[in-house]
Amino acid sequence: MKRLTAVAALLSLTAVAACSGGGTNGNSTGGGGGVYTTVDLNKPSLDVNAPINPWNPKGNAFWGYNAMRIAWAKNTLTDPNQFYPGIAASWDIAPDNSSITLHLQPGNKWSDGKPVTAEDVKFSIGLAYTQGSTAFAVDPGAAGAASDVEVVDDATIRITQDMKNPSVTFVRGVMDAFVVPKHVWQSVVPADFWDTLETARGDGPQAEAARGQIKALSEKVLAFAPPQDVSAGPFVLKRMNPGEALLVKNTNFYNAANVAPDQLKLLNTTGNEQIWNYLTSGTLDNAPFTAVPADVMKRIKATPGNQVVKGYSPVAVSLAFNQAKKPYDNVHVRRGLASLIDREEVTRIASPEGGTAAVTTSGIHQKAAKEWLGADLDVLDPYGLDTARADKEFAEAGLRKKDGKWAMADGKPWKVTIHIPAPFSDWVSAAKAITSQLTAAGVDAEVVTTADYPLYLSELAEGKYDLGFWLIALGPAPYNIFQRLYGTSNGWNILGGKVKHSAPGKDGNWMGGPETIDVDGVGTVNPGELTAQLNTVGGDEQKAVIAKLAKAANQDLPVIQLWDYVNTQFVNTNRFTGFPEDESDLLRQPSGVWIQLGLIKKKQ
Amino acid sequence: MAVLLRRLAGHVARGLVMILVVTTISFLIIRSVPGDPLAARYQKLVEQGMAPDAAQRAVEALYGFTPKGGLWEQYLDYMGGLAHLDLGQSLSVPGAGVSTVLFSAAKWTVIPVLAGTLLSFLAGVVMGVYAAIKRTGVLGDLLAISGSLLHGVPQYVLALLLGAIFTTLIPILPAGGTADIMIDPGFTADYIGSLVEHATLPVVTYALAGYGGWILAMKSSVVTVLGDDFILAAELRGMKRSIIFRYVARNAILPLFTILALSLGLLFGGAIFIERIFNYPGLGLMLIDSVNNRDYSLMGGAFLLITTAVVVANIAADLLYTVIDPRVRSGGETA
Repeated sequence: MKRLTAVAALLSLTAVAACSGGGTNGNSTGGGGGVYTTVDLNKPSLDVNAPINPWNPKGNAFWGYNAMRIAWAKNTLTDPNQFYPGIAASWDIAPDNSSITLHLQPGNKWSDGKPVTAEDVKFSIGLAYTQGSTAFAVDPGAAGAASDVEVVDDATIRITQDMKNPSVTFVRGVMDAFVVPKHVWQSVVPADFWDTLETARGDGPQAEAARGQIKALSEKVLAFAPPQDVSAGPFVLKRMNPGEALLVKNTNFYNAANVAPDQLKLLNTTGNEQIWNYLTSGTLDNAPFTAVPADVMKRIKATPGNQVVKGYSPVAVSLAFNQAKKPYDNVHVRRGLASLIDREEVTRIASPEGGTAAVTTSGIHQKAAKEWLGADLDVLDPYGLDTARADKEFAEAGLRKKDGKWAMADGKPWKVTIHIPAPFSDWVSAAKAITSQLTAAGVDAEVVTTADYPLYLSELAEGKYDLGFWLIALGPAPYNIFQRLYGTSNGWNILGGKVKHSAPGKDGNWMGGPETIDVDGVGTVNPGELTAQLNTVGGDEQKAVIAKLAKAANQDLPVIQLWDYVNTQFVNTNRFTGFPEDESDLLRQPSGVWIQLGLIKKKQ
Repeated sequence: MAVLLRRLAGHVARGLVMILVVTTISFLIIRSVPGDPLAARYQKLVEQGMAPDAAQRAVEALYGFTPKGGLWEQYLDYMGGLAHLDLGQSLSVPGAGVSTVLFSAAKWTVIPVLAGTLLSFLAGVVMGVYAAIKRTGVLGDLLAISGSLLHGVPQYVLALLLGAIFTTLIPILPAGGTADIMIDPGFTADYIGSLVEHATLPVVTYALAGYGGWILAMKSSVVTVLGDDFILAAELRGMKRSIIFRYVARNAILPLFTILALSLGLLFGGAIFIERIFNYPGLGLMLIDSVNNRDYSLMGGAFLLITTAVVVANIAADLLYTVIDPRVRSGGETA
């Protein structure tokens, strides 16, 4: 029987060995530059079945490692149009933002030895049109869309913006495009693709049909699986198993001489706990932005070589109101609640390492707010902890206090119910802290968790919640920042370049705020239209619009800004050095970008 | 043999009807799961810094992978696909067939769970016999306590304990993954050794978690058989104890075989907690992932696999009983 079991076990393992992924037989791979181990923030969960395709949600084309963008955006406070070189070595932007001319890295080759040319970039832009992006959209009236893509020579390409509806983020839209090898992908699109695209940019039934043809290609592009990785990045995917991916140095990469690691290991993770374990055991050379409780942080810091790097993260979390529900339609109720929340304490409990208590509600991360608003930031109402003010605000809203508890104007009980997606432990902790604070101040409050994030989002959009947590301040582009407060979720949509407002409960409007707000010192504003303007205006005009919107958000409180995130990363200097310092503008890019730019060095 | 074939035919017919019913019910349940996968994808893209309109367009590219039409139309499409053994396309991994995704995840669940189950079954049966024989002594008590203890501790607690001990305190085993990626896959000692090393903690957890149930069941079964008349008769005839115990063990193990066959049917359900703790990407994790992504096709495929496995295991258990128990084979008649 024992012998039989042993044989069965061996046969089982043989079966696994036989059906495990490719690779050639031979010895373990090794090299002088060493192995760099990390987790890909964009794809922490690996999937061996996914194609090597940068547009596929689970594709095994890892940004910065074996997938390249035209350029890599810097993590700046206010300017979305600053970049580090990628496929492009340099670029010239027309003064009126009407075009950008890209100069490709000289002598750059794909990992199979073929040169990277402007034709590859143009072809990739064609693929981007099928997927829909900022600069490459076929929708009529789309802001910041390209109208022309012209190959100047093998190493130069010019992209022109359609100035009928220009956008200040046009350049960012161009630079974010992925570049893939035309000789590998060319079977995906028909030969007359560019003619179809030109027709699609026009008007009438023919254009409509052409747009349909372009969109019909999206599925084919998304699912396309190249037989092997042909990369223009610093690494090439060699093999994968469900737990890890192994990439090896691409010797044809334009900056290969300065790429320190010979090999790169990406580890599969299914949650933060695994990243904590990897960090505690000193396995990772770098771990991306990860939420960490204080006790775990102590353990991580105690591991030899581990260091914490912190920087700007253009994200904040807020408590958002559904103003279609009473009494939250009354601004005094919202202000009263804001005056009862101790944001410092909430942040200390929920996100001690990865957050800074919001100084006020402006809709903008406090660091960017200082840049955008200057001294005006100090003028905004800070909504400090003030129970007397809360009482005054509630009384002004007509609420009544009965037996030490606040009730609705008609005497009915009032309970503040905060909804939270259960898997987000920091949000759950924060919501519990808030309800404790409110309860102590005589406001009956409870936390209700939702099973998962997709369900949370759909119920939120359906207007089922009175209050929920909502990410805001998604910078650096000002339009992206304020559309979280005055975009689709609050009733404003941009259709064919025109702003349209929908009533609460319609077209995704779950915030249910008013269409116009009377702002002290500004007058009546339509915040949705102001937000849309941020797509097109620049300079001082942009600053003026942002100042109005920050005032509107502060005065009208569609949300209470709770804390601003801090990008908390981990590096280990036992094997490699040269990691970005605190506040580096590279901290939001994966470490593949640090490596390809030559920052990372092997420890001597 | 004729009895066996008759039984088999009946079972297969009943099994197919059961699979059809369960598939229909699971189809309806899956389609009623609230939550929009595309909305979640949109939010993720926006949170990654993509402009809202661009994120919206990127999400539209995924529409082609979502089921179309009304519920009835989707059901007919789904069943039509099943008739051609086509489980459809995954939404979370556009371009990958559901059967491909299922197969690639299945081996990382089935083999470790099977190994763990067989190990625990063998150990439990052998120790269960000892525990029954020595039930009045210290050894019997210790064995029974070990069984009760391990039966009572939840699987994930065991996994956390073993993980903490062998990957952190005494770091002799890998903390995650299925094999060392640095070793070339193939039929080599290095690669097989790496597979074994990575599978050790999940297999041992499954084995320890199952052992308690088997030892207690076997002990109780042996004690029951020991009280049977034929054992008393054998003892009165002066038969050797060793021969008597061979009879006892054979008769006592019969009900356990049925439970074993049924538990093998549950292999495909995946062990979500264990796979998560050991970052061992099998069916359990895949199923959770598919639910989180509202990947209807993948969820449907996973439920179909689990249902089929349970139905087949039931049939196997019944046929096994027919083979190993003469009383069942002769239609319950006694000589």
